[in-house]
Amino acid sequence: MRKGVLEYCILGILSNGDAYASDIIERLKGAELIVVEGTLYPLLTRLKNADLLEYRWEESNAGPPRKYYTLSEQGRAFQLELKGTWENLNNAVEQLTSTPS
Amino acid sequence: MNKTININLAGIIFHLDEVAYEKFKTYLSNVKTALDQEESGEEIIADIEARIAEIFNLRMKENGTQVVGLADVEFIIDTLGQPEAFIDESETEAPKSSSKQTRRFFRNPDEKVIGGVCSGIGAYFDIDPVWIRVLFIILLFFTGIGFITYVILWAAIPEAKTTAQKLQMRGEAVNLNNIEKLFTKVEDYTSTEKIKSGVNSFVSFVVNGIGSIFSFVFKFIGVLLAIAGAMIAFTLIVALLGIFGSTWNLDGFNFISLNGYIYGLDGAQAIFGSGWRLLALRVGTLLTLLLPLFALVVFLAKIFGRELTNSKLLSFSGIASFIVGLILIFISAGSLITDFRERATETDQITLSGMSFDITADIFENEQGFLFDVEDELLHIENVRFNIEATRSSTASLELKHAASGRNHSEARARAQSFDYPTVQDGEALRLSEYFTVPKESLYRGQDLKVTLRLPVGATVYLDESIENIMYDIRNIQDMYDGDMLGHLWEMTPEGLSCTDCSTIQYYNTKEIEESIEGNLDEMEESIERKLEELELELKKLKDR
Repeated sequence: MRKGVLEYCILGILSNGDAYASDIIERLKGAELIVVEGTLYPLLTRLKNADLLEYRWEESNAGPPRKYYTLSEQGRAFQLELKGTWENLNNAVEQLTSTPS
Repeated sequence: MNKTININLAGIIFHLDEVAYEKFKTYLSNVKTALDQEESGEEIIADIEARIAEIFNLRMKENGTQVVGLADVEFIIDTLGQPEAFIDESETEAPKSSSKQTRRFFRNPDEKVIGGVCSGIGAYFDIDPVWIRVLFIILLFFTGIGFITYVILWAAIPEAKTTAQKLQMRGEAVNLNNIEKLFTKVEDYTSTEKIKSGVNSFVSFVVNGIGSIFSFVFKFIGVLLAIAGAMIAFTLIVALLGIFGSTWNLDGFNFISLNGYIYGLDGAQAIFGSGWRLLALRVGTLLTLLLPLFALVVFLAKIFGRELTNSKLLSFSGIASFIVGLILIFISAGSLITDFRERATETDQITLSGMSFDITADIFENEQGFLFDVEDELLHIENVRFNIEATRSSTASLELKHAASGRNHSEARARAQSFDYPTVQDGEALRLSEYFTVPKESLYRGQDLKVTLRLPVGATVYLDESIENIMYDIRNIQDMYDGDMLGHLWEMTPEGLSCTDCSTIQYYNTKEIEESIEGNLDEMEESIERKLEELELELKKLKDR
């Protein structure tokens, strides 16, 4: 279930502003979409490799420097596209599940 | 004093105690192996190490310690998760073919007629649900088992409620692509067939073929085992249903037909009458039936993965009703014992005329082959034993010995007197019946009837095939079994009953005959050969001369 949806959620979180890995994890954990953090790092790297994300280093007083992720131009366009698909899907699900069987 | 080991994570130095270090080292190397295959795996590992450094740092500050302990490492493992999970959840390359997904049984709410059981089964096996429905309907009409099977499956198989479950039902991977497909019903999964070189595609064809054969075999064995388990529970239910059906005289439950062979449909009624005993027996069998029924539902629900919220209540009430049912049956059956306490016998003598008889049993014929049968106000009991004995008197006679049990002697006697067993003599023809009747109210209380034909020496009797069911160990000089005696003419001699028209071959058993024939043939062959040799010798002698 999470496959694909997780990617979409990450893009969605980043469309509201830049974030570093721990922020994204907190958000996803809050929504109970992931249980363990480890799943996220391969995803982020993959999205970055697909040129959907970019990152910059920022110093942190809590430890090593942090990677702050931001949407690339491509990523922004893709996020909007996915949003459309998602809404269609959502409508379809709504329609199907609300009609009495 | 504990030894500490220094490590460098994302440029920061941490002190780990020995135990923590060992654990951390193993974990990190597992992570590295898991991510080894990934594209830019090193970068991911660096990110993870940075995150670990951050968490360690925070915990050091919070706890005010300098050394990372086992608890900290365990916290890391809990937060980040096991490395296998990283990959499983993030794997998007190489979309799995649908056959690799494990399927699960669900009831299909989208294409249901009653409970969606058939279309769920159809989806599981990739068969059009119509065929499953046809199968169930056939089972329903021919035996009625289809109905019970359906209800049990309905209770045990969970309904596919979520989209994910609907995909699992069809054995498709749960991902965004397939979810979309489910709604837009685009069904060209195979359009992206890879074009490979000849050799390559041949190899992969063979490998895939072998793989799918194996997975099919395993799946098949699994399904067989599950079916076998379910069959055992089911057989138990069917057996109990049979008893249940026979106690209630339910024709609809007659599909089990077991009842017919044990008692006849009316067996319970013949023994238990129609009062509280029958009621207790009926309720008792119904209650004992619930336990295996519940057990089967719980068992199947476990297999199909349905959460039964009240399985404890179910098993408790199943066991409780089983015990109560058994008690009821025992009370009902136990109360019968006193009814068999005393036994009485009544004997009728019928004098026969003539010295030759042709015996048939065709006045009352038992077509169903049941021990009991209730018809109108009469109870038919097939418990007749026919025998032939010698008598010193000069006339033949037929003796009817009725026996019955009762709570006291007079009751037993009354029962023994209320037999009805018609016999007719018409010239040589002596006609008997296959069963006797008693009034329905007198119930079955061990009634039996011994019919004995007493013949003076010199009298002859022909035994018709129709008496096969009632004849009981008739002694004869030839020592033939009852069944072999049929269809022959017998004469009462001073030594006993003797067959007048049996060929001698029937005294031997077939093996002896075969052996003796073979022996004879061998002997003949040998003597012929000897004769031939002698003749040849003679011929030679003649020629020499």
